[in-house]
Amino acid sequence: MRAETRSPIPGAGKPNPDGRSPKFELRRRWIWFLWGVLLLVLSASVAVAEHRFPPPDFETGHQLPVTTTRPARAVWFQYLDVAVLAASLGMANWLIYKRRSRKGLIVLSIFSVLYFGFWRKGCICAIGSLQNVSLALCDRSYAVPVGVVAFFLLPLALALFAGRSFCAAVCPHGALQDLVLLKPVKVPAWLEQPLSVLPYIYLGAGVLFSATGSAFIICQYDPFVPIFRMSGRGLMVLSGAALLLLGVFVGRPYCRFLCPYGALLKLGAIVAKWRVRVTPDYCTQCRLCEASCPFGAMREPQSSPAGAQALVKDRQRLAWMLALLPVLLAGGGWLGHQLGAPASRLHPTVSLADQLVRAEGVAPKFGALSPDDLALERARQEPKEILTEAAGIRHKFDLGGWIFGAWVGLVIGTKLISLSVRRKRTDYEPDRGECFACARCFEYCPNELVRRGLMPAAAPVEGGVARSGPASATVGGSSV
Amino acid sequence: MKSDIRHPKAEPEEQPAVTRRQFLRNGARAAALTGLGGLAAIVASRSAAKGTVWQIDPQKCVRCGNCATACVLEQSAVKCVHAFAICGYCQLCTGYFEPEPNDLNTGAENCLCPTAAIKRTYVEDPYYEYTIDERLCIGCAKCVEGCNRFGNGSLFLQVRHDRCVSCNECAISKVCAGDAFRRVPADQPYLLKTTSH
Amino acid sequence: MKNRDRNITRRRFLRETAGGAGLLTVGSGTFAASVGLAGAASVGKDPNPFAYDVERLRKTDPKLIHYEQIGRFAGLSPDPRRIVIGPEDRVYIAAGNGVSVLDREGTRINSIDLGTAARCVAVAGDGTIYAGARDHVEVFDSKGKRLATWDSPGKRTWFTGLAVGGNDVFAADAGNRVVLRYEKSGKLAGRIGEKNKERNIPGLIMPSPYLDVKVGHDGLLRVNNTGRHRVEAYTPSGDLELSWGKPTSAIEGFCGCCNPVGLAMLPDGRHVTCEKGLPRVKVYSPEGVFQSVVAGAESFVENAKATFVKGTEDCRLGGLDAAVDSQQRIYILDLVANDVRVMKHKA
Repeated sequence: MRAETRSPIPGAGKPNPDGRSPKFELRRRWIWFLWGVLLLVLSASVAVAEHRFPPPDFETGHQLPVTTTRPARAVWFQYLDVAVLAASLGMANWLIYKRRSRKGLIVLSIFSVLYFGFWRKGCICAIGSLQNVSLALCDRSYAVPVGVVAFFLLPLALALFAGRSFCAAVCPHGALQDLVLLKPVKVPAWLEQPLSVLPYIYLGAGVLFSATGSAFIICQYDPFVPIFRMSGRGLMVLSGAALLLLGVFVGRPYCRFLCPYGALLKLGAIVAKWRVRVTPDYCTQCRLCEASCPFGAMREPQSSPAGAQALVKDRQRLAWMLALLPVLLAGGGWLGHQLGAPASRLHPTVSLADQLVRAEGVAPKFGALSPDDLALERARQEPKEILTEAAGIRHKFDLGGWIFGAWVGLVIGTKLISLSVRRKRTDYEPDRGECFACARCFEYCPNELVRRGLMPAAAPVEGGVARSGPASATVGGSSV
Repeated sequence: MKSDIRHPKAEPEEQPAVTRRQFLRNGARAAALTGLGGLAAIVASRSAAKGTVWQIDPQKCVRCGNCATACVLEQSAVKCVHAFAICGYCQLCTGYFEPEPNDLNTGAENCLCPTAAIKRTYVEDPYYEYTIDERLCIGCAKCVEGCNRFGNGSLFLQVRHDRCVSCNECAISKVCAGDAFRRVPADQPYLLKTTSH
Repeated sequence: MKNRDRNITRRRFLRETAGGAGLLTVGSGTFAASVGLAGAASVGKDPNPFAYDVERLRKTDPKLIHYEQIGRFAGLSPDPRRIVIGPEDRVYIAAGNGVSVLDREGTRINSIDLGTAARCVAVAGDGTIYAGARDHVEVFDSKGKRLATWDSPGKRTWFTGLAVGGNDVFAADAGNRVVLRYEKSGKLAGRIGEKNKERNIPGLIMPSPYLDVKVGHDGLLRVNNTGRHRVEAYTPSGDLELSWGKPTSAIEGFCGCCNPVGLAMLPDGRHVTCEKGLPRVKVYSPEGVFQSVVAGAESFVENAKATFVKGTEDCRLGGLDAAVDSQQRIYILDLVANDVRVMKHKA
C-alpha cells in the first residue's frame, strides 16, 4: 500500500489536493471534528428526545447518567500492525539472505510470537486474511479493511521474490512451532506425500466456505490462536496443545500439513526469483547438510537414470499421470458437487431454512425457549426472506462444489505428476516450495563455516567434482 | 543469492543467457504478480480504510442467552448496557426483580440477575436508578428480557470494545438466534437504543 | 535422521503413498466430522439456563373467567392504539394515521385521516369525534369532517387517552403526567392529577405512554396511574376521591412495572382493566375488588411473542385496550395482532 500521510481522524482519507499545508488541513479537520461531536451530543440529547417518550422530571434535579461507550482499538493501530509486518519481513529477508544467521532468526521468531502472537492475540493474521479476501471478491456488501488486504498481499508478494521468508520467523504460528522443535523426527515419505496435499484441500475448503459467507473455518479451527488468546473452546485448546507437543518432535506440523496460506506461499516460492541456498557460494556435494533439514525439505543431487529402459518407464508413468489428470478433475468436480448440499448446511441461514421447512405445521412454542427454538420463532416472522436467501446460498454451493471438487482433483493430479517427474539437480539445496528459510542448514555447510570465519579455507579437493553423476559416485566425501 | 557461482574446478560449459526453466519461472512470476495486482485492485475498490468491529443490533436481539456462553473469552465481551433516557425508573423494575418478588428490596432472592450485577439506588419517591456493574455482568440477557417484556426496554446487550478481541468471525455471531450481530465501523462501534423496544 | 534407503522402487513408493493417502482421508475425515458435530450439536439445543420464565403466570384459573368470545374481527389500519364505542354501538379505533369507524361485526363505516399518528380517540353522545395526535387534539363531526384543531399544550405533550364527559373533554397527557380538562371549544380549563401535597394527590407516575382516562357513570374520572399500579378516581375539578390497585403478577393485581394500560367502565361502575406484559383483561368492582377475568394471558398468543414485532418505535410494546358497548359487551383491541374480540358475559 502506498504510504500516505493520513490524519488520525478516521475516514479523513485522501490528502488535500489544493496544496494547503498539511498542518493547516489537520487543524481544520480537528475543528470540524469537534463541531461534529458537539452537534452529535446536542442532537442526541435534544432532537432525538422529540420522538422518545420523555423520562420523568426529577424534583431533586437528579441528572440522568450517560451510557458509557468505551471506544474500540484506534484505527491507526491497524496501520502500525502492517508497518511491523513489513519491517519484520524485511528483517527476516536480511537475516536469511545477507546475514545468513540462525540466531537472528530465533530472536525475530521470539519477537513475532510475542507481538503477533500474544500481544495481538494471533488475530489479525495472514492465514485468515485469505478468507476475508475471498469473501470480498464474492460479496459486494463486505468491505474488507485495508490492513487485512495488506496482511494478505505482503507475504505473498515477497514470496514471489524471496521464498517463504514469512514462514521463517514472522508468522506467529510458524515461529511458535519452530521455537518448540527440539528433537526432529523424519516423517516417512509415504505419509508425508499425501499429507502435503492437505494444505491445498484446506485452502480450497477455506475459500469455498468464506466466499459463500458460511463460516471462516480457518479461523474456527486455528489451533494456536486459543493459546495466544489464552482462552477458547476446549477442543481447540486441546488440539493446539497436542499439535505443539507433536511439534516438539515433528517439525512444524501445522505449517507443513495444514496451513492453507502456506499452500499459496509454496506456489509463490516455487517461482521465486531468489532461493535459499545452503552454501553461501558453491556446493561440494559433501553431504554434510543431507540430514540437516528437520522439515524434510533438503533435496539431493539427482541425475537422469542410467539406461534408456528406465527413461521409457518414467515417461510412460508420466503419460499415465497426465492422462489421469482430466479424469481426476471431472471426478473431483462431480464429487464436490454432490457434497455441495450437505456443505451448505454450515451456513446458518441454510440450516435455519431447513429447520423452518421441517417445522412447518408445528404449533409455535412459548415460554422459556432454547436458542434454536427462539431462532425458529424469529424465522417464522419472515419466512420468505430466509428461504430465498437459503436458496441463493445453496446455488452458490452448487457452483462452488464443482470448483472445489475440481480443485482437489487438480491438486491430487498435480501431486501425482510431480512424483513422476525427475528433476535434474547438481547440488544439495532445499526444495523451493517446502523450505521455510529457517537457516538451520547453513551451519552444516563447510563453506558457510568458512564464510563465518569458523574454519580456515582449504584447498579445493583433488580430482575434480562429478557434476552430473549421482552423488554416491567418486569424490565429494572428504573435502576438508 | 549468488546461485550461479560454480565450483572453481568445474568445467566451463556453454550456459545460455536464460535457461528455459528460468524463463518459465520468470513468466510464472510475472503472471502471479499481475494476478495479485488485479486481486488487490478489485479488493481495494471494496475495502474500507477503517476497520470493522462486531456489534449487536438491539432491535434484533431475542435474548437467547448465547452471548454469555459462546464468546471465546472466559468472561464474555458482551455486557448489558442501560439507556438511561428510556428507563422509567420504576420502583418495581421488571429487569431487576424476579416476576414475583417477596419484597421490593435488594435481597438476592428477589433479584433477577444471576450475578447481582444490577445496582439499585434510590433517587426520590418513587424513582430508583438502576446501573450495571460490568465487572459482574455475564451478558445472559435475563434482565434484558424482563425489561423488554414488561417495561420500556432500556436494558439491552452490547459488545464492549474494551474487552472484545475483535475476532475475524465472531463466535457468538455464528450462533446468534436473532441474527443480531453485524460489522460496524470501528470509529462508531456501538448501536445504542435511542427509542424503546 | 537416518539415511534414506535409495533403492526403493517407484511402484512401491506410489503404493505406500496411496495407502498413506487412504489412511489420512479416513483420519482427517473423522477428526473434522467429530469437531464439526461437537461444535454444532452443543450450542442451541440446550435450554437457556438464564431464561426469563413466566409461563406459570400465563395460566388463568378457568373458574375465574366469566366471559366468552362471541365475535372477532380484524382491524382495518395497522398500528392500532385505542378503542372506544360511540353512539349506536359504533366501534372507533385510533390506528395508524387516523380513526377507523366500524360496526359491531367489523365492517368499515368510515375512515378519518388525521395526517399524523392517531394516538387516542373519544366520541361524544352527538357523534362528535375527538382524535388525539401526539401533541394536539383534533375535532371531527360524526361524518368525519374536520371541525377544529386545538392548540398544543406545550413541550413533552404525549396524548394517550381521551374521554368526553358532560361539557368537558379530558385529554390524558402521558408526557407531562397530567390529565388536561378542555371545554368543548378547545379552551384549556384545568389540570388533573398533578402532584399536589395540599390536596393529597401523589401524582401520576408514567414510565411509558399508556395514560388512559375514562368518565364513569358516576361522573368521576378514572385514570390509570401505571407507575403506582393503581386506578385513581378524580372529580372533574381535580380532587382525588379514591384509588385502588396493587402490584403483583397474581391475578388480582397488576403485573409488571407499569400497568394497567387501558381502562373501560361498565354502566354499574365496575372497572375493566387491560394489562401488557402478561396481557389480560379483568373486571373489578366499583371499589376495586377483583371480580373476574374477561380474557386471560394464555388467550393472547400474538401478544405473548410481542418482543419480536418489528417497527415498535415509541414505547408501544404489545398491550391491549378495551371498550364497553350498550349491551355490556366488552371489546378487546389487541395491539399486536391488530384485531378486536367481542366478549360477552357467560350465562
